Amino acid sequence: MRAFRTLSPWVLSTLLLAACGGGDPDVPGSGSPSGAPTTAGSFTAVVSFGDSLSDVGSYAPATSLAGNGTPPFFGGKFTTNDTTTGAPTATPLGKVWVENLAASLGLVVTPAEVGFNGASVKCPAAAVPALAATCTAYGQGGSRITDPNGIGHNPTTGAGALTVPVVTQIANHLARFTSFKSSDLVLVYAGNNDVFTQFGTFAAAAAQIQADAAAGLITPDQANVELFAAQQAGNAAMKVAAQELVALVKNEILAKGGTYVAVMTLSDIADTPFGNSPSVAPARSVLTALSQTFNLWLRDGLTGEPVQIIDTYALFKAGYANPGQFGIVNNTTPACDVAKIQALTGNQVTDGSSLFCNATPGAPYNTIVTGADVNTWQFADSVHPTTGGHKIISDTFAAELHAFGWI
Amino acid sequence: MKTISSLVVAAALAGGAFATQAQDNVFKIGVTRYDTHAKTNGISGIGVPPGADAKVGDATTAILVYERLFGPNFGAELVMGIPPTIKAKASGSVEFLNATGTVLSAKNWAPTLLFNYHFFEPGATWRPYVGVGINYTRFRSVKSSLAPDVDMGDSWGPAAQVGISYAITKDISAFASLAALKVKSKVVATGSTVLTTTVDFRPTVYSAGVEYKF
Repeated sequence: MRAFRTLSPWVLSTLLLAACGGGDPDVPGSGSPSGAPTTAGSFTAVVSFGDSLSDVGSYAPATSLAGNGTPPFFGGKFTTNDTTTGAPTATPLGKVWVENLAASLGLVVTPAEVGFNGASVKCPAAAVPALAATCTAYGQGGSRITDPNGIGHNPTTGAGALTVPVVTQIANHLARFTSFKSSDLVLVYAGNNDVFTQFGTFAAAAAQIQADAAAGLITPDQANVELFAAQQAGNAAMKVAAQELVALVKNEILAKGGTYVAVMTLSDIADTPFGNSPSVAPARSVLTALSQTFNLWLRDGLTGEPVQIIDTYALFKAGYANPGQFGIVNNTTPACDVAKIQALTGNQVTDGSSLFCNATPGAPYNTIVTGADVNTWQFADSVHPTTGGHKIISDTFAAELHAFGWI
Repeated sequence: MKTISSLVVAAALAGGAFATQAQDNVFKIGVTRYDTHAKTNGISGIGVPPGADAKVGDATTAILVYERLFGPNFGAELVMGIPPTIKAKASGSVEFLNATGTVLSAKNWAPTLLFNYHFFEPGATWRPYVGVGINYTRFRSVKSSLAPDVDMGDSWGPAAQVGISYAITKDISAFASLAALKVKSKVVATGSTVLTTTVDFRPTVYSAGVEYKF
């Protein structure tokens, strides 16, 4: 008994130490959302926010055949556009995933804003009263999360792409429709242009660091430290972007009526012709890390929130590794022909952007690589999917929504 | 009155007997060298190149020990150290990161409870002892040049020691001991990204000092 009495304070104090210890520290981003609906929705609208991947034709006027912003347009979406049956917004071909998904729900979705070079029209579909509520596809090529000066937008003159940021896309929706409805299928897929912007900044810094190292101004170790710092700066910016998007989802969508809200992670942009191009390939891991960092903080911020996350990172990586499973025979070569697009646009478009790419058989403005198939080649240009690529995305997302019990 | 004074005398006698017969309490003070023998499972996290690792350095500190004896051969002791700062350096593919500063530093607070068996009789000049017990390690003031927020998990693990004491006087002895501990801690460094690793310490602890019995 004496032994026990004497020992007990020690044991007790040791146990108390353990009690206030708390075991392993938490790892940010390891949680999950919770509380999203588990029953099927009665959807009357697909409300989509994002960038070029979700763009259903915002910049069509830039592809005016007459060259003056008036129809007909030969492009307008970041894919293999097809005008066989008319203008892009009415074509059954060359659709992007947002349109495919809406169609599978029996819904029509049209661009929220259409224009180029600083002039634009909001909800052009409202010219037909029956379509006035369909203009809920807000994604625009080049758009970032909060920075209005996206990729392709001239910050000084306002020329070029509109790049309305996601923060404003959501504000525009609230301005037009007052709130989100439980009958809205809300899809948020943004951040890719924040990756491209940060990657561009990193690449410029890296070039300077490597030049300094080659010139003997800094040691290889110093160069490595500087490269590490440049990468960390990019990651830090992606963390900010993710947290900004989380705040928008929570405060501007969920708090304003959003019920069926799916938020996409970013895929690994290294798994594209861009990521495999000679100038980018050496920094593939940096590019990958930017998406991963965004995804980590997106997941961290949405932990416990009533949304569903569609993890494009994992889904697309699996698809990229097993293209045959999706009927893809080529996931390395863009289907749009850079030289043909350059010729068609009078040398104004030299990067082969699929915005100006048309796949209509026999059309004089067809700019597809000879022998390419828009259904079995995955990429239209260095980063954007073909018609077939978009079909895989919409099929994949539909399967996820089905798994959530939403459709 | 007689009863009370008897009691007082009895208590005094008892107290005296207690104090002189059994030296049940031992205080030790000494210095300790931790050879951390740490291994990690590699550093994982976004953008961390393959082969990234860390090497954990050794540390020296002072210890205070209280041992309570039970009978001539058994004792239980609590070892408390002044928390030493343990530092880690980047190694492997990320060795260059040491240029950013101290990649990881932490004060480890590691109370250890040991149950000892002392050979020979009390009063013997040389008394070897062996002990087994448990170690609790907690890391505090965890800092990194790579991330503003670093946490290290607590650890519980077995501990064992061998030692010897040499009686200089009846009350004062010198001691030396060698202990082995098993400490495992998950490290989570949060900045723009999150880095994690698990450090597996197998420290060998060399201690020496003086002890006072009463």
